[in-house]
Amino acid sequence: MSVAPSLREGDELGPFELRPGLGQVIRYCALQWAFPPFFFDESAARAQGMPGTIVPGPLKVGLLYRAVEEWLGGRGWVRQVRAAHRRPDLVGRPIAIVGRVARVYAEDGAERADLELAIINEEGQPSVRGFAVVELAGAGER
Amino acid sequence: MPEASLLTDEVRALVGRETRLGRVQVTPRAYRRAHEVYVGGAPARVPAEGEPVPGYVITGLESESEAPPFPELLPNSLLIANEWAFERPLRMGEWLEMVHRVTDVRERFGGRFGYSIDVLSETAFFDAEGRLVARSGRTMTQYSAAESGAGGVE
Repeated sequence: MSVAPSLREGDELGPFELRPGLGQVIRYCALQWAFPPFFFDESAARAQGMPGTIVPGPLKVGLLYRAVEEWLGGRGWVRQVRAAHRRPDLVGRPIAIVGRVARVYAEDGAERADLELAIINEEGQPSVRGFAVVELAGAGER
Repeated sequence: MPEASLLTDEVRALVGRETRLGRVQVTPRAYRRAHEVYVGGAPARVPAEGEPVPGYVITGLESESEAPPFPELLPNSLLIANEWAFERPLRMGEWLEMVHRVTDVRERFGGRFGYSIDVLSETAFFDAEGRLVARSGRTMTQYSAAESGAGGVE
């Protein structure tokens, strides 16, 4: 099977610049119906030894998913997204999602690509190392 | 660090055990709420019955049930990784059966958390024909902040 030329190894994704705020974090907590105070209460976060309220890890995997989906722009769909959390991101602080196409290949009758992703904090450090697999449109079941 | 492994036979026996969490439906409400979290604001259009919906809707589906708790072997816990995987896109209106499973438990010696225990678990979503549609996995690490000096929770 030939691999569609719409994605090429080395293609870059982003940067997608975001600033997850308290409102977004609270909406996430409501969606999960889970309210650990250190996500929205500064004093509770500091009591836990954190520098401030932090962005929930599972919210960040969703932000990676969204970034990949937006970057794909209808060229395909996201089969997998994975996040390894390296350091907390503080609520209200800027982050950037970046990535690159690591591999484009055919598998199970579909055309797929592996993406290496990262969330970079304002100090330029990776707070999340991520990975995604996308399947190109027209291949596989939708 | 404990003198004996905390991964007793009783704890190891939890690996692979499945818990049925019940059925959940991909609804316009689940889509709208997830959209407000991940995209922001109300969606301009809600997918019609049978149309694909974005994978982030899985967050709202998971919250419709509670996975059984894993024993607290060490005083602190932290999410260190999570993952969503899809065999195909979720579809508006479909019913999915959720099954929770502890996939692995590992001890770690040294590193940022000192002696720690990683608990890998997932919720799998199956369609009406019993085919796997999606998985949502997470790795929690249990550790002792007092001994490791590591702080922060995610």
